[in-house]
Amino acid sequence: MPFPGLRGAARPRTERGTGMSRARVDVRTDLEQVFRSHYARVVAVAARVLGSRDQAEDVAQEVFLSFGRSSVPADEAGGWLTVAATHTALNVLRSGRRRSTREEIAGDGPTVAPDVADLVVTREERSTVRAALGRLPHKQAAALVLRHSGLSYAEVATALDLSPSSVGTTVRRAESHLLEELNRHASPE
Amino acid sequence: MRHPSEGILRRLVDEPAGVPDDDRAHVASCPACLRALEVARADAQLVGSALAAPMTDDLDSDAAWARLTATQARPAPAFRPMPGATRRRWTAAVRRPAVAAVGAVVVLTGAGVAAANEWLPIFQTEQVQTVEVASADLVQVPDLSAYGDLQITKAPEPEQVADAAAARERTGLAVPEVAELPEGVTGEPTYQAAGVVEATFTFSAEKAAQAAAAEGEELPPVPAGLDGSTLRIQAGPGVAAVWTQPTGVPTLVVARVGAPTVDSSGAEFTDVRDYLLSLPGLPEGLADQLESLSEDRGTLPLPVPAEMVTSSTADVDGAEATVLTSRNGLFAGVVWVEDGVMTGVAGTLSADELLSVARGLR
Repeated sequence: MPFPGLRGAARPRTERGTGMSRARVDVRTDLEQVFRSHYARVVAVAARVLGSRDQAEDVAQEVFLSFGRSSVPADEAGGWLTVAATHTALNVLRSGRRRSTREEIAGDGPTVAPDVADLVVTREERSTVRAALGRLPHKQAAALVLRHSGLSYAEVATALDLSPSSVGTTVRRAESHLLEELNRHASPE
Repeated sequence: MRHPSEGILRRLVDEPAGVPDDDRAHVASCPACLRALEVARADAQLVGSALAAPMTDDLDSDAAWARLTATQARPAPAFRPMPGATRRRWTAAVRRPAVAAVGAVVVLTGAGVAAANEWLPIFQTEQVQTVEVASADLVQVPDLSAYGDLQITKAPEPEQVADAAAARERTGLAVPEVAELPEGVTGEPTYQAAGVVEATFTFSAEKAAQAAAAEGEELPPVPAGLDGSTLRIQAGPGVAAVWTQPTGVPTLVVARVGAPTVDSSGAEFTDVRDYLLSLPGLPEGLADQLESLSEDRGTLPLPVPAEMVTSSTADVDGAEATVLTSRNGLFAGVVWVEDGVMTGVAGTLSADELLSVARGLR
């Protein structure tokens, strides 16, 4: 899934203020525009972690609320929101918060496989993987999700304060862990 | 040499260009690493499928927005991004489109078994991204839109065609026939054809000033008569034959394209070009493309990213050809211009193998 505007980070960047340091009480005026342009993307990232659309929409609400109170520049919103959605969704996954029970009755609905060509992964396998994702160290899980959401290695490194060279190792370990769990075929939680 | 770490192999799956040359070269020639690479690739794909997200394209964003505005009055949520999450400028990836050079027909593939499935048009000089080879890569023009009015007046409408005869009928160019396929290249090729692409560019001092200002620079004084001058850039048509392994890995591309030409009204072409080249903040790749443009068809429009590719020259039936070899040794290309037509041969083969294909073309 390409991620226009975020792919390709070869260009040197200058660092700017963090945006979160000055908490703003008033709600920013560009929130609606940012919300409209990024909502679907944020839900998709969270849904990748949670496997559930309703939960992902809940996460998106939290993330946009945080964004609305931040002073992150609007043109940096895409990256910020992706990272925030990943962390928040992983927290939800780990805390086992289940807010949308109707979802579990309804099932996951159709999913978009990243590669049309290949692999059929059963629903059971998907929930096994998500349960395992919740047990991974947070940083490993976050690196994995960000990478599979289309961020480049350099971007993942910056987002998680990793050295660029360790991103590959972190992602690879996370994948190995997940697949071990999958092979064991532990029953989903 | 030590085997590269699993982390490096993992990156090779996603971003071969981000992996040091030494490591790539090692992997390409090390059966154990190639196996480990394939395992890493398969694992990545499997996890990718397992992590597939539920469909989100029919979201009701109006309802979601209403919900958000209703809850905004509540206290701030506890969530804070991890340190570092907000520190960088996400915008710096600003799309300065990585536009391929005119007549970008020789696509080089990213590394045989190693970076399988992904193509690396060397012309994409802004930053090398792995992209699928698309027929649109056959013919492109430099993106000068920041400095004036760029209009594509004739679109190349690239397409895959049934066979060499159809390609010829569409373009008037014969697809060069390969006398003898190198070892490892088998089967029938697919054929691509693209028409002529024509673009006009009208220089605008005002736009150029804006582009300079965006870079925090001041526009150098515009020579008299330059503002409003028009360049007409033309390239194509183009044809290509592409051999692909059963696994989908392309191994050999043979292509022929009408070399680009440019003419001008108003100021002289070279004046416009030289002035553009003097502009502060001109993206490097674009500068390379401009430099390689000329009014005659004698020069090779090949901005080559030196950090990835080494170039040398060789003789192909009397014409001087440029030989490009990736620094990791995994792919190569040979390209030359004769009578206004550019011919190229590229693939996951050695330069020697490609040269003998080039010399054997009919």
